[in-house]
Amino acid sequence: MPQATTQPAEQLGAGRKKKKRDYNAISPFWNAVFNVLIGLFTFSCVFPFIFVIIISLTDEQTLALNGFSMFPSKISTQAYEYIFKSGGELLSSFGVTLLVTVLGTVLSLTLVTTYAYALSRRSFEFRGFFSFLAFFTMLFSGGMVPGYIVMTQFLHLQNTIWSLIFPLSMNAFFIIVMRTFFQTTIPEEIIESAKIDGAGEFLTFARIVLPVSLPGIATIGLFSSLGYWNDWFNALLYYNSPKVTPPMQFLLMKIEKNMDFLIQNAQNIGSAVDFAATIPQETVRMAMVVLATTPIVLAYPFFQRYFVQGLTVGSVKG
Amino acid sequence: MSAFFKKVIRNRALLVMILPGTIWFLIFAYLPMFGTVLAFKDFRISRDGFFASVINSEWVGFKNFEYLFSTNDAYIITRNTILYNLFFIFLGLIIAVTFAIMLSELVNKKMAKVYQTGMFLPHFLSWVIISYFAFTFLSMDKGTLNQIITFFGGDKISWYSEPKYWPFILVLVGIWKGVGYNSVVYLASLTGIDKSYYEAAVIDGATKWKQIRYITIPLLKPLMIILTILAIGGIFRSDFGLFYQLPKDSGALYPVTNVIDTFVYRGLINMGDIGMSTAAGLYQSLVGLVLILLANYIVRKIERDHAIF
Amino acid sequence: MTKKKLSLLSLALVMMLSVVLAGCGDKKENNASSGKEQNAVQNDGTIDVSKLDPVTLKLYLIGPNQKDLPKVQEEINKYVTEKINAKDDITMIDWGDYSQRIQVITSSGDDYDIAFTSSWAFDYLPNAAKGAFMPLNDLLDQYGKGIKEVLDPRFLEGTKVNGVNYGIPANKELAQQYVWRFNKKYVDKYNLDISNVTTLKDLEPLLKTIKENESSDITPLAVPKSFKPYLPVDFLLGDEIPIGMYLDTDDFKFINLLETPELKDALGTIRSYYKAGYLREDVATLDGIDNMKTGKWLVDREITQPYAELGWSRSAGYDIITRPMHDPVIYTSSAAGSMLAISSYSKNPERAMMFLNLLNTDVYLRNLIQYGMEDVHYKKLEEPYIEDLPAMQDSYAMPGFALGNMFLTYLHDGEPKDKWDAFEKFNSSATVAPTFGFNFDTAPVKTEVASVTNVAKEFIPSLYTGSVDPDEYLPKAIQKFKDAGIDKVIAEAQKQFDAWKAEQK
Repeated sequence: MPQATTQPAEQLGAGRKKKKRDYNAISPFWNAVFNVLIGLFTFSCVFPFIFVIIISLTDEQTLALNGFSMFPSKISTQAYEYIFKSGGELLSSFGVTLLVTVLGTVLSLTLVTTYAYALSRRSFEFRGFFSFLAFFTMLFSGGMVPGYIVMTQFLHLQNTIWSLIFPLSMNAFFIIVMRTFFQTTIPEEIIESAKIDGAGEFLTFARIVLPVSLPGIATIGLFSSLGYWNDWFNALLYYNSPKVTPPMQFLLMKIEKNMDFLIQNAQNIGSAVDFAATIPQETVRMAMVVLATTPIVLAYPFFQRYFVQGLTVGSVKG
Repeated sequence: MSAFFKKVIRNRALLVMILPGTIWFLIFAYLPMFGTVLAFKDFRISRDGFFASVINSEWVGFKNFEYLFSTNDAYIITRNTILYNLFFIFLGLIIAVTFAIMLSELVNKKMAKVYQTGMFLPHFLSWVIISYFAFTFLSMDKGTLNQIITFFGGDKISWYSEPKYWPFILVLVGIWKGVGYNSVVYLASLTGIDKSYYEAAVIDGATKWKQIRYITIPLLKPLMIILTILAIGGIFRSDFGLFYQLPKDSGALYPVTNVIDTFVYRGLINMGDIGMSTAAGLYQSLVGLVLILLANYIVRKIERDHAIF
Repeated sequence: MTKKKLSLLSLALVMMLSVVLAGCGDKKENNASSGKEQNAVQNDGTIDVSKLDPVTLKLYLIGPNQKDLPKVQEEINKYVTEKINAKDDITMIDWGDYSQRIQVITSSGDDYDIAFTSSWAFDYLPNAAKGAFMPLNDLLDQYGKGIKEVLDPRFLEGTKVNGVNYGIPANKELAQQYVWRFNKKYVDKYNLDISNVTTLKDLEPLLKTIKENESSDITPLAVPKSFKPYLPVDFLLGDEIPIGMYLDTDDFKFINLLETPELKDALGTIRSYYKAGYLREDVATLDGIDNMKTGKWLVDREITQPYAELGWSRSAGYDIITRPMHDPVIYTSSAAGSMLAISSYSKNPERAMMFLNLLNTDVYLRNLIQYGMEDVHYKKLEEPYIEDLPAMQDSYAMPGFALGNMFLTYLHDGEPKDKWDAFEKFNSSATVAPTFGFNFDTAPVKTEVASVTNVAKEFIPSLYTGSVDPDEYLPKAIQKFKDAGIDKVIAEAQKQFDAWKAEQK
């Protein structure tokens, strides 16, 4: 194993030269290779988004004539003007999305961590039953109509943000991930020793388990908040009053679905002449996508910082 | 029974903790579950509300399931669904883990962050938007790919009516959209790995590759196994938009793009038959259950600790 | 505890909870006080409001939600309270969401009163068959006399399911007629003679002229994937599914259209057009086509109505002229193009019918619900003309065709005064399709219908647009349709049709 001895030495040497460089970092060559590979892939991911931005800034007539183009011959901010003019709704729907995402994620984390923590404890004598209770739900669902009935006729939550929050706040998948996380990162002995120190279950959970589990919590939090941010289907089902503002993704989806529907049924609707005007323009749809996506793209780095902080805490204590 | 109560009292703290989640499951997952009986009924509306309708509807046995198996397409859609999902599961796993490891090894952490954010973007674009985007490449007359082909003297390809290219396109785009999301999961778990393992390894003289092989991957394995088993449970469901929007619902491509979800959608959209759609969902769930149990059984045989159940 | 015991326990739990829930859902009183309603109708047909208890009617209508709807609704309520002591609670559900959402609402047992239904959204037939709507015949006789007077009787005739009416069709164009629309600019430029154009074949010289003389970005035949060559048949399940009966049939048999010489011929023609480059190359995947917007086209295909050219020309911003492909025909589906139905859960079906009666007979209410308030959303010009105010487009643009009798609505400047008379003439001049009034119950063959629909989506767009070679694909399609059970569907339809036909005599 000649390599095994040379490389760390090299790295150690490098480490001495450059203070910042991690003694266990990969070699500059592989670093470059990785950078190129991931960079290319990232570009392929970012590119469509840039493209969408460009389309949203293209002149509508130019778009109809030339189709989508990276370099449109005529630029226009009309789409954005249109949105902001009719825009009270858009801004408040953005607020709704934000509120639902924050409340939902907090609720979701509370439910998931407590449930998963109990399942992760080997000393918990009802583990089998509650594991089954959770996993069984992955396999059967009653479908749309029964869910709708529970929400509207049993809980009477239609047209409230709770009808957008509750359906997404738990799922067995989160619980499995979280339970596994607890099991692998927190040895049962630590918890037992805390017990001996006189801390109750709740105190142990809050003071010892949660702080160590920040990476896991961050992951579930990310999943959960993305789920809430992207959700439109629950609004479709439960928001049916003109008085409540729907979330942003719902507005977006509605526009997309309307387009499809009107195009497909134009022939069926004999008196089609009078509603052709209600079809929103292509550029407006793209502008909506941009507006709906940008906030989370901007928020993501903050998530990440939190992520990293959480991870450092985890590694120091763990 | 007193033994049972003693047990309850002994576990009271954890039971209290698990209570909120349990209530959620009972209300939002178990209560609606009775709707499953609709798969075996010919749903007719009766005036006294939904429950009366369910009760008064006639039992029809497995008639609602017949549609799924009535034509030769049954074989094609099942094959497509399973094969595509296998690709997504295993190829997706390899790529996501690879990216996660590469990201964690990058020297410049700032760049890593930028990449991570960028890779995440496709997750936010709906399939409709992605299908527009794909169209700018694949469009017959204005598409970039055909422009390149004709530039080099080739013949234009009618992408949306040539089934042979689509398995590749679908797998590529499907993985492209999901990989950023999945890498983040692995990355989170990866950065949680105790640094002292690596320090010890370095002292023992292990190369980076060895560290990855003997430390990183084994530590990621439980997560990989869990996610894979769960994904296998969903092997009968597919990302509807990928198979419907991306190929622009082109009839010529059905042999390679038709999956269970699109098949059910196309057949039932106009009928709005609750019984038949519930039946389709139940069929997918049941096969999923069998597959999950099977996968779990296999994992259990090989590595007991990593099994879910 | 063992796993088995646990699962049994949880099952029992589910059952228990379901029962509890069932109890909750069933608490619905059914105190329809139809006696009072009956007394309120006076001998001359007017309604004595003092005899009615106040009620609120819940309506679900199709179309985007409008900002000013609450305002207009208040106005509507004032008027309707005066007339029938009722208030409206209108919910708009957007185009693309309507079918799915109203389906869920209906299945869940929501006790709404009136909903929009049609042959293309919240499908009338299957839902009527499923029991979603209330039978209306008696209600019509008692509270809907006005509707029967103003509505072409063929509307009600054509929307009967097993002899029962479940919806009130909107009075509008009843007949269906396809036309070739021409972009006048190019017709004039090349002095094209369109006076003899009726069939697909007749277009050939015109398309050729354009193709040869204009640049390649002009599409001679600008149609999307929904294009169908015209066939003189009465379709059983819409024009996507190739089952139909000849309009001039003698034997009244449903046939598989793919096996007819007419279709084979038409497919040959369209294929040659496709190869000649008269259509867009990607037509088989083209959901919609924006030819109207770009103006780069010669001819397309559209359904017409009286004075449609005027409307098209106005919205396109350039002149459009048309040539009919055939005489107007009244189909069962065209009668069901836009309807309002009363839910079978409605607690006040009598009052709902009274309201529908008003929508079809009361000029003030009908225009209020469509155009909003005078001097807020529109300005009255000389009777019957109005001018839209900006507030109309911004905050009260309702789909007029989905709100009852269109013949009562005001006209816009530029529209001919005899517009609605022309509609009536159009309707009465039309011939009636052989299966008019026959409504096919797909329930006995729903598996086959679902499979056939799938096959249709696979083959019909590419075949009918000429994108594939019919010599190769037509036999393939025929075989696949047979495998999917098209013959069984035809047989079932024939059986039901024969029984229906026998009843008619």
